[in-house]
Amino acid sequence: MKGQGLLKGLYITLKRAVGKDITIQYPEQMPYLQDRFRGCLHFDYTKCIVCGLCTKACPNNVLSYESRQVEGSKKKELVSYTIDLQYCLFCNLCVEACPTNTLYFTHDFELSRYQRDQIKIVYEIPKEEPSAVKVDLKGDAPEPDETKKEKQLAAMTAALQKNPQKTVRKMVENDEDAEILAGILLEDEQKLSRMAALMIADREKAKKVAVAFVNKEKKDRLKGGGAEDESK
Amino acid sequence: MEHFFLNIAHSLIVWLMGLGLSSKGADLVLLIVQWICIVAIVTINVIVLIWLERKVAGFMQQRLGPNRLGPAGMFQTIADAIKLLTKEDIIPSAADRIIFRTAPIFFIIIAVMLYVVLPMGDGMQIVDLNVGVFYFISVASLSTICLLMAGWGSNNKWSLLGAMRSVAQMISYEIPLAFSLLGVIMIAGSLSLSDIVAAQNNIWFIILQPVAFITFFIAATAELNRGPFDMPEAEQELTAGAYTEYTGMRWALFFLAEYTNLVAVSALASTMFLGGWHGPWLPSWIWIIIKTYLVMLIFMWMKWTFPRIRMDHLMSFSWKVLIPVTLANILVTGAGIQFLAGMGW
Repeated sequence: MKGQGLLKGLYITLKRAVGKDITIQYPEQMPYLQDRFRGCLHFDYTKCIVCGLCTKACPNNVLSYESRQVEGSKKKELVSYTIDLQYCLFCNLCVEACPTNTLYFTHDFELSRYQRDQIKIVYEIPKEEPSAVKVDLKGDAPEPDETKKEKQLAAMTAALQKNPQKTVRKMVENDEDAEILAGILLEDEQKLSRMAALMIADREKAKKVAVAFVNKEKKDRLKGGGAEDESK
Repeated sequence: MEHFFLNIAHSLIVWLMGLGLSSKGADLVLLIVQWICIVAIVTINVIVLIWLERKVAGFMQQRLGPNRLGPAGMFQTIADAIKLLTKEDIIPSAADRIIFRTAPIFFIIIAVMLYVVLPMGDGMQIVDLNVGVFYFISVASLSTICLLMAGWGSNNKWSLLGAMRSVAQMISYEIPLAFSLLGVIMIAGSLSLSDIVAAQNNIWFIILQPVAFITFFIAATAELNRGPFDMPEAEQELTAGAYTEYTGMRWALFFLAEYTNLVAVSALASTMFLGGWHGPWLPSWIWIIIKTYLVMLIFMWMKWTFPRIRMDHLMSFSWKVLIPVTLANILVTGAGIQFLAGMGW
């Protein structure tokens, strides 16, 4: 019969109007979430083995971490772990990739923030109490820095000895001065090493010293020449 | 309680006459007071109705409706009204300013004019016109012009389209609306609304004229521009039809008028078919309020159940179904009256 559908519709709306509402009064009443619900991504740093699989699995480069080598071993340890949640598409790939269940989704879906930079979740890994051994290691730590400097110095010295004009060319105004300076440095071992150290540490100072050397040499030469002339 | 308002009116007249006013002057003052009362009732009613409509819509969609502001969200409409009052009043630069501005005012005036003839209780009728039904139908059909004014004045093609639709729709549905009331008028033998109510002392006309009631209800829905016949507004097609360019209080006036019309037509339906203010135990004016609100709830129920009907279906439904049915109803009613008169009733 025509019009049956209309009555059916009226019956359904009436039933809905009388029946239970499905609205959840959200801030007061929390919704029921299934176990597999993907809320905020959580990182449990105690389990992390710094394998980097999560960062490789992430399609949006949401995850990043900083690590350092544990002294005296091949192991790495975490410095910080960052989840840039604004790019996360909650695809679960990182969670699947993690071999130690370090990453997992919580039921926290209230992810809005007032500031843009608050979206990033940064886990600063607290440093463990340094043991005695580690303190010793730390004391020796500057050593590699020192050796590096020494290496640089040696290289510079070698360069000055081998090809002095070219090495010092930028320090002085013209080729003649460069040749003069090269002569001075080659004559005096002490001056050479001092110049090399200065060139590594402080270029400006090295330039000033170089100009002073050249000027002094020129004066000496003039004097010497004059003396020679006089002697003639 | 029964004569509560009548007593107030009577004592007001006595007090005014005591101040030295002539009886005509006292009547004039009473008329003004009545007019103010109508406007106040209409406004309060609209506030309640919008809240009710939202609640009903919410419940039918398994939601809760407004429930934050005040008890059960009652103050939500008041907050909305304040918002509308403080909104910027925008008139499009290309609009016909006079028509654009006057359209909502006329719309609300016409809507309020309907209340003059409605009997709101035993003897509670401002003017008992002997052509009350005729007055109601003719004044109600005037609102078409206001919609056309709004659509034309906006100088916007969607507004004009919406206005055109509403004109076509309202003119088409005016005919079955009037025809469906004719059966009642024939039985009551009067166009006066108070006579019609009096005729329903023993039996409501919904029992004698069920077909007329249904056709009246459908035609009235179309006349009110309510869903599923809300073609003039048709948000999804015409943004807001004739109201597209209206903002703030001007738009609110249209809204106010629509709900005012809703109350008026519901009151008319309860007067014509549901026995008017007749009812046991309670005072008459409470009965008419209860009946009016019941009819309005059915209007809302229909609005939030049915999808919008297509324009050509809407027109063909009026001309091909409603008008023949109402005409047949008149014929059967007339034949029945003649037959029963011949039987000696």
